[in-house]
Amino acid sequence: MEGLLLFAVSLLSLGAIYAILCLALNLEAGGAGLWDLGIVSFFGIGAYTYALLTAPAAEPHQNYLLGLGLSPVVGLAGAAVTGAITALLIGLPTLRLKREYFLITTLAFAEVLRQVFANEDWLTNGVAGIYGLEQPFRDVLTPSTLPYAFLVIILASLAIVYWLVAKVSGDGFGRALKALRENEPLAMTAGIYPFSHYLRVFMLAGALSGVAGAYYVWYNTLVVPGQFSSNVTFFVWTALIIGGLGNNRGALVGGFLFVVMHDALRFIQASSDMALFLSSLRTVMIGAALILILRFRPSGLLPERPARIAVGGR
Amino acid sequence: MLTVRSVLKSFGGVRAVRNVSIEVEAGRIIGLIGTNGAGKTTLFNVVSGLLPADSGTISFLGRDITRSRADRSSALGMVRTFQTPVGFPQMTVMENMLVFDRHDSAGLLAPLLALAPPRPKPATVARAVTVLERFGLAAKRDLWVQDLSAPELKMLEFARAVMADPKIMLLDEPAAGVNPAVLDQLIETIEDLRRQGMTFLIVDHNLKFMCGICDYIYAMADGELIAQGTPGEVVANQAVLDCYIGRRPKAQH
Amino acid sequence: MDIVIYGLISGSVILMASIGFSMTLKAEGFINIAHGQMLLVGAYLGLLFTSLGIPFLLALVLVVICGGVLGVFIFQAFFAPIKARGTLALLFTSVGLAYVMYGLVGMFAGKRMLAYDLPPVRAYVIDDTPIMTIYEIAIVAAAILSALGIHLFLSRTWLGKSIRAVADNIDLARIRGFDPRHSSNVVWFVASGLAALAGVFLGVLGSLHLQMGWQQSVIILAATVLGGLGSIYGVMLAAVVLGFGMEIGILFLPTSYRTAIAFAIIIVVLCLKPDGLQSLWGGAKARRF
Repeated sequence: MEGLLLFAVSLLSLGAIYAILCLALNLEAGGAGLWDLGIVSFFGIGAYTYALLTAPAAEPHQNYLLGLGLSPVVGLAGAAVTGAITALLIGLPTLRLKREYFLITTLAFAEVLRQVFANEDWLTNGVAGIYGLEQPFRDVLTPSTLPYAFLVIILASLAIVYWLVAKVSGDGFGRALKALRENEPLAMTAGIYPFSHYLRVFMLAGALSGVAGAYYVWYNTLVVPGQFSSNVTFFVWTALIIGGLGNNRGALVGGFLFVVMHDALRFIQASSDMALFLSSLRTVMIGAALILILRFRPSGLLPERPARIAVGGR
Repeated sequence: MLTVRSVLKSFGGVRAVRNVSIEVEAGRIIGLIGTNGAGKTTLFNVVSGLLPADSGTISFLGRDITRSRADRSSALGMVRTFQTPVGFPQMTVMENMLVFDRHDSAGLLAPLLALAPPRPKPATVARAVTVLERFGLAAKRDLWVQDLSAPELKMLEFARAVMADPKIMLLDEPAAGVNPAVLDQLIETIEDLRRQGMTFLIVDHNLKFMCGICDYIYAMADGELIAQGTPGEVVANQAVLDCYIGRRPKAQH
Repeated sequence: MDIVIYGLISGSVILMASIGFSMTLKAEGFINIAHGQMLLVGAYLGLLFTSLGIPFLLALVLVVICGGVLGVFIFQAFFAPIKARGTLALLFTSVGLAYVMYGLVGMFAGKRMLAYDLPPVRAYVIDDTPIMTIYEIAIVAAAILSALGIHLFLSRTWLGKSIRAVADNIDLARIRGFDPRHSSNVVWFVASGLAALAGVFLGVLGSLHLQMGWQQSVIILAATVLGGLGSIYGVMLAAVVLGFGMEIGILFLPTSYRTAIAFAIIIVVLCLKPDGLQSLWGGAKARRF
């Protein structure tokens, strides 16, 4: 029973992390029509930033930069900041490109970044990654309560992110983004300058994804370049499409769905051959789900709905 | 108010607009006629900032907007409609209107730091409803634009332009594909607005409509101006008649 | 001298893999992520056929035919019905298909290290320097033949011209009597068949593993972008340039950066000259984007 509860807590925590990612993607893709195929860049940068800021100084057999041993809060803030900065750097040259080009370039950046993580040993300890990162609050709480504490923290953070995203995608700014998504030239004739709007939402999405990355490290107690391949990007997109692109609650559903698709099988013990077979089967099923949703319910499980604006007194 | 001087625009080898100059004085309704492919819409796109001119100057309210993008000229008070009304399909009619409110706040910091999701100002919403009622769209304000019928879309083009409270309206083929009753309503609205001081630059190829409403008309063919003058003068012009062979415009006063 | 040889071989494989991608992009207007997985399928199908005792050359032909038929099937069953839904839906359907193909191959082929069981050969030698083995020569020859074949097909045959007409303006093409559906089937057959063939060649060259589809997708994307999205001649040139570029690149950077070079090329080209190499001869006038 205890084991099952811990398993559920673990899945929920992971689901919340991915839900943050889905919300970030929904903000830029669902809200502004940015087909960002490189969201894993910010996820990865956030994760490594958190690791490099909070890890103790590198042991002799390891090799990475910084290792300042700072508090987790600083780590989280740092992850948000580097996420936003990365978005700025990537966005400046790419946000002026048309959709298909933007899509390809963001994918390209994500892959280059991953290879940098893997190859630049002096920075990130290379392919081996950084292990043994202590979970926060270790000295304050007993080991058995740590997972629950983490769940509470991550759910609270998810709520905060949801609140932020809801505010931003509402009136004024959110409406301008939607207008750009729907009809860019027309939006321009309404006085909306595309690039500045895109850049701001891109940076916000980058910051949020960075925070998700930091929590990911917290959860795993390690960072490894292999965790940040474009598979993550495609899976988050898949989760969001199935959950409902353009709908924040759809993003939530998508996030938890992602965990069910991606990690639930993690916990099943199986022989190596069987594991590969199951993993491949899982991939087939995810692909099939994506195809079916796009064919028969393209707006997702929770589609975007018309925004009703209250008219005072009528 | 709006001066277009010697504008040239080419696409590849095709010269869509050749050395066209137009003057629009405040409070007047200026028309631009020509058959399909004469370059009218291209000129419109250049003037409204969606396409850059190859050469020439455009000044609006004394400011040079030749190099300006559409968002800048709209901030100065220019609004335009589109020939094929599309609007913002997956946004409600009301949202379509609110986007065109020139005082619509678009900052990121304010909503980010606010306590609750921001709401549009009640006064703005009320004004939008009033304008929508004028065009018979108030009942559909919470529907997505993609669910509207074609005439309703056309009305919405106009309603949005009015909502923007502009200094000048550029209307692109307002009479195209519109039934006579709706056309009459449009004409009435244009005259209403003119009485309130609005300036218009209208492009259309419906001669009867244009002659009935414009103070001054420019005629284009193959990218060039072939005639200009009052409706009576233009309609009697040989070059114009040659373009419209087979179409005999009714005598206008 | 090694660089020239490896560059040529590399470029040849990239060319065969990318031409099809470029063709479907031009004809249908969307990015088909599943194209890369066609190489994977082709490679493993070839393995299956040869392991059944079918002679290599015949297996090659079979792979091309199977790949082509599979491509047409995929198009008709999955892409054609949702064409009206827009490029995002098509793109992610292709992502879903890529997952399905990748997963199916994984399920049936398993993790075992597999390789083509071909008789070992010595390279031909000129002046004491080994040049290429017969297989490598065959690869280069196949690439040249396919490039030529496609060129002739597009410019000389009625069907080829109709494909170009359809890509440029579907309504105009219909008026002139070209049937978009037929053009599409042929495009998909050729594109997928070539990709499957390229997959077999990759397998022969030694890189036969489950990730090959994803790895090649990147390179295909790079070649297509470099040549100019939707330009078939552009992608031919780009494939060769990329092949050499990557080989030269690893002289200066660690080998693990090989695909990063491809990506970096994508970024640089798209940001500086979005039309790619085809702008050298004034292409990209009738883009569908």
